[in-house]
Amino acid sequence: MNVGVAHSEVNPNTRVMNSRGMWLTYALGVGMLHIVLLSIPFFSVPVAWTLTNVIHNLGMYVFLHAVKGTPFETPDQGKARLLTHWEQLDYGVQFTSSRKFFTICPIILYFLTSFYTKYDPTHFILNTTSLLTVLIPKLPQLHGVRLFGINKY
Amino acid sequence: INHIVHNGGLYKRPFNEAFEETPMLVAVLTYVGYGVLTLFGYLRDFMRQWKIEKCQNATEREEQKDFVPLYQDFENFYNRNLYMRIRDSWNRPICSVPGAKVDMMERVSHDYNWTFTYTGRVIKDVINMGSYNYLGFAQKAGTCQEAAAKVLSQYGAGVCSTRQEMGNLDKHEELEKLVARFLGVESAMAYGMGFATNSMNIPALVGKGCLILSDELNHASLVLGARLSGATIRIFKHNNMQSLEKLLKDAIVHGQPRTRRPWKKILILVEGIYSMEGSIVRLPEVIALKKKYKSYLYLDEAHSIGALGPGGRGVVEYFGLSPEDVDVMMGTFTKSFGAAGGYIGGKKELIDYLRTYSHSAVYATSLSPPVVEQIITSMKCIMGEDGTTVGKARVQQLAENTRYFRRRLKEMGFIIYGNEDSPVVPLMLYMPAKIGAFGREMLKRNIGVVVVGFPATPIIESRARFCLSAAHTKEMLDTALKEINEVGDLLQLKYSRHRLVPLLDRPFDETTYEETED
Repeated sequence: MNVGVAHSEVNPNTRVMNSRGMWLTYALGVGMLHIVLLSIPFFSVPVAWTLTNVIHNLGMYVFLHAVKGTPFETPDQGKARLLTHWEQLDYGVQFTSSRKFFTICPIILYFLTSFYTKYDPTHFILNTTSLLTVLIPKLPQLHGVRLFGINKY
Repeated sequence: INHIVHNGGLYKRPFNEAFEETPMLVAVLTYVGYGVLTLFGYLRDFMRQWKIEKCQNATEREEQKDFVPLYQDFENFYNRNLYMRIRDSWNRPICSVPGAKVDMMERVSHDYNWTFTYTGRVIKDVINMGSYNYLGFAQKAGTCQEAAAKVLSQYGAGVCSTRQEMGNLDKHEELEKLVARFLGVESAMAYGMGFATNSMNIPALVGKGCLILSDELNHASLVLGARLSGATIRIFKHNNMQSLEKLLKDAIVHGQPRTRRPWKKILILVEGIYSMEGSIVRLPEVIALKKKYKSYLYLDEAHSIGALGPGGRGVVEYFGLSPEDVDVMMGTFTKSFGAAGGYIGGKKELIDYLRTYSHSAVYATSLSPPVVEQIITSMKCIMGEDGTTVGKARVQQLAENTRYFRRRLKEMGFIIYGNEDSPVVPLMLYMPAKIGAFGREMLKRNIGVVVVGFPATPIIESRARFCLSAAHTKEMLDTALKEINEVGDLLQLKYSRHRLVPLLDRPFDETTYEETED
């Protein structure tokens, strides 16, 4: 679909999260996931909430912090090939609204999950570790950092 | 966003542009569509990896699998999982001249667009809404063709030399004098390729220590030329004069980034008509700003020359301004003149400088003589110098077609972007599946359209782009509109929530914008 691919936006991936309706779709997606998990009769309410939290954080980690580059060829000569989607957002500018939104969402989900699991110790450990896996890569100090050479190339 | 501007006397006619915002439900469904396609893409990649499904893409040989890969698999993800599914809407082979109607080869695919086979049948007389044929000069018989054939037998097919060495024919001099007269400038120069005109001449005009202010949606040739020049580039929001003024003020107040020295030159890069949005540049305001802040203006009229203005002289004539206000007028011969190549027009000292310092003039081959003759004949036709009123009739027919087509589409309820006078009409489709469906349904009904999606456009703004032509008769447009109406009902494309607002024609005192949303 490279018809007239001719504008100053070298990496369209940077603008995707700012587009109209993306945040709403994201929230609706998490809501759908939760409703599906609640409908399965084998899971109690605390288990459903913990599963929502864990699956959401896993998905967020994979799509924002594990997958690198762009799914299409960009005219930026490969500058974004080794960057994850989080690092590509807004061309690396920190503390923009999208970044703040995606940092706050797992935290709110964590609060809700802790409440609904009644602060049970096993659930607490699971939820906290999964929250940390998704919050630590978002720190500005870890922009471009690859621990132990994992996921470097 | 709907702008109807009467800016105190700067605009002599109402400037009516509309970019209706995506309805929220449509945006959400578009993201869901892309999400589902992405998940299925990962599933199919997994199946191809584990050999459950046959991999039709090119892969490395077994011996080379341990080497560092040449290409990243992920960069091809979109191509093999989304583009391949709807690939039959692009690169369709044609077998006649692409005028108002075109003949296409029919092709089918038995493995979901990975390979195509020709059935042998030729689909005749497909109404061509995709070619940049604004004045209908893409024809294979007529005065232009006869003149070009004569010149071909006289001068040969190509020149094989640059303008500076041996490639300067008398035809080129004749063409340049004619272009200068057509535009109303002192002097002009013509090059063999429109893209090369931009990318090779901007580096000759600006260099390090200069500032380029370019519009968000400028064409790749302008972006490449700006980058090659080494100047600092700042981007202002599309057609937004407040953004441009702010950038100009900041540039003059703060100067160059570290040393705070004044900029050597400030060049504003804009286009006449933006082909992806269908919007026309706000030229009177740009010129007012340019004069106030003493900068230079480079106007790229690739799509607007021949298509706008009562005499077809472009966007400067459309607004009733003087061509001396624009410092560098650039354009191409590809769209309205049925030829190839580009030109730059301006003051004599500027063009003389470009003749010696421009990369295209020194290193690139000059225009080929039959093409030059085609341009000369078509330009004379538009100006009326060949003794007939054919040119004027064509320009008027294009303007009527534009107004009629846009009005009918808006009445039907589609979301159309752009200015109501621009012959480029983007019709919004939004969802990825509708891109492929629209292209195929229109071809079934014998109309050829161009559809564009992400990443060429923003993710929620995929569109179908119609290019109107003076060669389209009213019957052709009516047929096309009827079919578009049917397909719009079938695919539920009528998203618009505005009813047509009657144009307000009362004069205003100061700058007034009527906007529904910012």
